[in-house]
Amino acid sequence: MTLGAAPIRGKLMKMLLTTSGIVLLFTCSALFAYEYLTFRQAVVRQVNTLGAAIASNSTAALAFDNPDDARSVLAAFKADPHIVAAALYDRAGDLFAAYPEGLPTSSVPSAPGATGHRFEQSHVIAFEPVMEGGKQLGTLFVKSDLTEMQQRFELYLLVMGIVVVVSAAIAYFLANQQQGQISRPILELADTARAVSDRQDYGVRARPADTLELAVLTDAFNHMLTQIQQSEARLHGQMSRLSLLQQITHAIGERQDLPSIFQVVLRSVEDNLPIDFGCICLYNTTTLTLSVSTVGAVSQGMSSALGLAENTVVPVDQNGMSRCMQGHLVYEPDIRDVPFPFPQQLAAGGLCSLVIAPLIVENKVFGAFIAARRRERSFTSGDCEFLQQLSQHVALASHQAQLHNALQTAYDDLRQSQQTVMQQERLRALGQMASGIAHDINNAISPIALYTESLLEREPDLSPRTRSSLTTIQRAIDDVAGTVARMREFYRQREPQLTLALVDINRIVEQVLELTHAKWYDLAQQQGIAIELRTEFAADLPRIMGAEGEIRDALTNLIFNAVDAMPGGGTLTLRTRVVRGTAEEQSVRIEVSDTGIGMDEETRRRCIEPFFTTKGERGTGLGLAMVYGMIQRHSAEFEIDSVVGHGTTMHIIFPAYTQAFLATMRLPAAQIAPRRLRMLLIDDDPLIIKALEDALSVDGHLITSASGGQAGIDAFTAAHGTGNAFAVVFTDLGMPRVDGRKVADSVKRLSPQTKVILLTGWGQRMLAEDDIPPHVDRVLSKPPRLHEIRVALRELTS
Amino acid sequence: MGVLTRRAVLLATAMLLAGSAGAAPSEYQVKAVFLFNFSRFVEWPDSAFASPEAPFVIGVFGYDPFGEQLEEATRGETVNGRPLVIRRLRDAGEAGDCQILFMHRSEEGRIGSVLTALDHRSTLTVSDLDAAGQRGVMIALATQDNRIRLRVNVNSARAARLTISSKLLRSAEIIDAPATQGGD
Repeated sequence: MTLGAAPIRGKLMKMLLTTSGIVLLFTCSALFAYEYLTFRQAVVRQVNTLGAAIASNSTAALAFDNPDDARSVLAAFKADPHIVAAALYDRAGDLFAAYPEGLPTSSVPSAPGATGHRFEQSHVIAFEPVMEGGKQLGTLFVKSDLTEMQQRFELYLLVMGIVVVVSAAIAYFLANQQQGQISRPILELADTARAVSDRQDYGVRARPADTLELAVLTDAFNHMLTQIQQSEARLHGQMSRLSLLQQITHAIGERQDLPSIFQVVLRSVEDNLPIDFGCICLYNTTTLTLSVSTVGAVSQGMSSALGLAENTVVPVDQNGMSRCMQGHLVYEPDIRDVPFPFPQQLAAGGLCSLVIAPLIVENKVFGAFIAARRRERSFTSGDCEFLQQLSQHVALASHQAQLHNALQTAYDDLRQSQQTVMQQERLRALGQMASGIAHDINNAISPIALYTESLLEREPDLSPRTRSSLTTIQRAIDDVAGTVARMREFYRQREPQLTLALVDINRIVEQVLELTHAKWYDLAQQQGIAIELRTEFAADLPRIMGAEGEIRDALTNLIFNAVDAMPGGGTLTLRTRVVRGTAEEQSVRIEVSDTGIGMDEETRRRCIEPFFTTKGERGTGLGLAMVYGMIQRHSAEFEIDSVVGHGTTMHIIFPAYTQAFLATMRLPAAQIAPRRLRMLLIDDDPLIIKALEDALSVDGHLITSASGGQAGIDAFTAAHGTGNAFAVVFTDLGMPRVDGRKVADSVKRLSPQTKVILLTGWGQRMLAEDDIPPHVDRVLSKPPRLHEIRVALRELTS
Repeated sequence: MGVLTRRAVLLATAMLLAGSAGAAPSEYQVKAVFLFNFSRFVEWPDSAFASPEAPFVIGVFGYDPFGEQLEEATRGETVNGRPLVIRRLRDAGEAGDCQILFMHRSEEGRIGSVLTALDHRSTLTVSDLDAAGQRGVMIALATQDNRIRLRVNVNSARAARLTISSKLLRSAEIIDAPATQGGD
C-alpha cells in the first residue's frame, strides 16, 4: 500500500459510513416516529378500552346512584399506573365519583367534556359516555399520563444509540472489508501498472476483478497491456530484423562476387529470420526463365528433392512468378492452394508458405529471392517487408559487384593496354635504335655486297674455293641485311614487305644445321655435354613460298633454344614431313625437338611474348617473338608441345606451294641488258660511291659522283643543258645540310624528265609507310643489289 | 283532569329545574327512576309475557307514593321494544300480570299474600321496606346514610327465573334469605 492509495480507501470508507449512517438515522427516525404514533394510538386505545370497560361496569352504580360502587369500579384503574385520574359524571353532568380516592375535585373537570380523547401536554384525556340499554347514564372521564411513552422513548433512544454505535462499528468493519473489493483491484491495477513500467515487462497481467465495472477496467487495462506487448513484440521483431538487415548489408558490402554475396545472404536469412528453404535465382530476360544461382547452405539438402539444385532453370510465365518479374513481392500464405506447377513443386517438398522477392536494379528485375517455410501462413507482414528490403540491398550489392567486376575488367584491360603500349614504346625505342644501327650496317655492308656480287658475276676465273667463299659471304650479307631489316620491324605492327620465293625446306634445315654447328656441337663439347643430333627429312617434301632468310633465322633460334634447354645433354631432333589435307591443300611441317627441361603451362603460354625469357640476363626475350613474327608473315602455324622434365617440341607448319600460289607469286626479273646511261651519284659516304661507281661502270653506264647533296645539285646544275646532262640521279637520303629530298627537288625543278632514285638505309621503312618523298621516282634500300638497280633502271628508262 | 295535567307539567318543570340546578330530587323521584332502571339490569323469561306484543308492565300495589313521578320517569321509554305501562293494583291476584311490582312499605301486611299470589311467577318484586328481602321480596330499597341502597334476595329472583345483572348485584347488597317467607 502506498500513500497515494490512501485517499480512495478513505473516500470509500467515508462514503460507505456516511451512507450507512444516513440510512441508520432515517431508519431510527422512522422507527421513532412510528413508535411515537403507534404508542399514542395504543395509549388512546388503552384508555378507550379501559374507559369502555369501566364505563360499562359503572352503569349500575350510576343507574342506582351508588357512588361507593362507582368508586370501587373506578378503582379498577389501579391496574394501569399511568391512569392518573378518572371520574364519573351522572346524567346531569355532576361529578358522581372520582379516582383515585382523595383526589381533590379540582384535579378533574367539573363537568364532562365532548366525547373522545385529546392530548394535553404530557397527558391524554378521554370522555366516554356510560350507556346502558341505549341510554346514556353518565360520562366517564379518564386521564392518563404519557410518562410511559417518555420512558419508552428514553429506552428507545438508549437502544438506538447502542444500535447506532454497534451498527457504525459493524459498518466500519464491513466497509473496511468491502471497500477492498473496489480499492483492491484498483490498487492492484496501479501495482501492475507500476510493475510494468518498472520492469518494462508487458507480460504482467492484472488479476481479474469480480466487480463488473472494475472487471471492465481491468480487462481494458489488460487489453491495453496486450496491445503494448504486441506492439513491443512487433517493435522488437522489427528491430531484430533491422539489425539482421544491417548485419547482412555489412557482410555483403565486403564481398564483390555474386555467389559469395548470395551465399552470405542466404545463410544469414536461413539462420536468423529463419526460413526453411531459400535460394536466389537470376532472371534471363530473353528466355524468360529463372536459373537457380545459389541455394542456401541449410537448404541444400532440400533443394535437390525440390528439383531446385543450382543451375536449374525454372520457366517464369506459367508458375505465378510473373508478378514477381514485374517487380512485385509475391507472398503465398499457403502454396498448396496455388495451382501453378512451381508452387506445387515446393508444396510437394513439404513447404507451405512462400515469398518471392524481386531483385531490381534500375527498374529492371534481374533475379528473385525465394524464401519458403514449412508452416503455412508463417510470414508476417514484417517478414515480407524485411525480405523486400533485403532484396533491394542484395540487388544493389549485386549491381555494385557487377559494376566492380566491370570496373576491374576495364582496369585490367587498361593495364594490359598500358603494358602493351609500354612494350610498344620500348619496341619503338629499340626499333629506332635498331633502325639507326641498321642504317649504319646497311651502309657498311653495301660495298661488301656490291663487290661480292660483282666479283661472282664478272670474274669467271675464280677458283671454286674462292667462289664458294664468296657465295657464303654473299649469303651472309643477305642474311645480315635481312636481319637488319627485321630488326626494324619490331617497332611497328605492320606486316613487313616480304620477298617470297620458292623455298626447299630440307635444304634450309641443312643450311641452318651447318650455320649452328658451332652451337650444338662445338660449344657443347667444350662444356662437356653430349648432344646427339637426329634428322628425319621427308624425301618428297614440296616446296613452299617463303623468305629463306627469315626461315633460317627462325630455325636458328629454335635450335639455340633447344640446346639451351638441355644443359645436361640430350637429343636434338629435326624432322620435316608432309601433312596432307584435302587434295589441293598440303602443308609442310618442321619439328624441332629436345629432351630438355620442358616448359610449364605459364611459360608455354607466354614464351612467344616479346621480352619474355627464361634465360635471365643471357636472353633477350626476342627469339621466339621473332620466330612467331616470321610464322605470322608466312601464314604458317606454330605449335608447342612441352612436358616439364621431358622436353619440348616446336612445330612450324607452312602451307605447301600449290598452283593457287602461282598467281600471287612475283616472277623474278629477267636478265635484260641495260642501256648505257649518264648517271649522277650523290652520297656522303665515299665507300658507297666507290662501290656503286665500280658496279654500275661495269654495266657500261657513265658515272659522275658528288660527295654530299649540295655538291650533287651543283654538279647536276652544271651539267644541265649541256650534252652531258644526267638521265638518272642516284642520291642518298640522309646527308648533312642538303638531304636527298632537297636534291630530288632541285633536280626535278631543273629537269622533270630526269629520274631520281633514292638510296637509303631506311628504304624499306619508307616504302612500307608510303613515305616516298615527292620528285623521287624510286626508292632502293641499302645495301643495294645490282639486280634491283638494274630492274629499276630498266623500268624507269625503258 | 285539567288541573292534574297542569300540575304534572309544573312538577316536571320543577324537576328539570331542580335537576339542572343540582337540587336533590325527592325520594320517590329517585325510586321511580330506580324502578325503571331495574328493567335494564334484569332479564325476564318469555313466559313472563302473555304474548310477544304484550307491554312491559310496572305495577304499584296498594298505596301509590309516586303520584305522577313514575309516569314522568318512564315517559317515552320502552323495554326491549315493548311499550311500557304503569298499573296501580288493588288486588294481589293482579300482581302476576306485572313484570315489576312495587309495594310501598305501608303495605307490609300484604306483602305475604302478594308473594303467595305470585307463586314464583316471573315478576320482579320491589319494596321500600328495609326488611323486605327477608320477607321474600326480591329487591328491597333501603334507605341508608340518606341514600337508597338495594338489597337483593337472589334466591327469590332465581326462583322466579329472573336473571339479575351482575352489575346490579355489584351495586347491591345480597340477602341470602329463603325465596318466600314461609307460610304467610
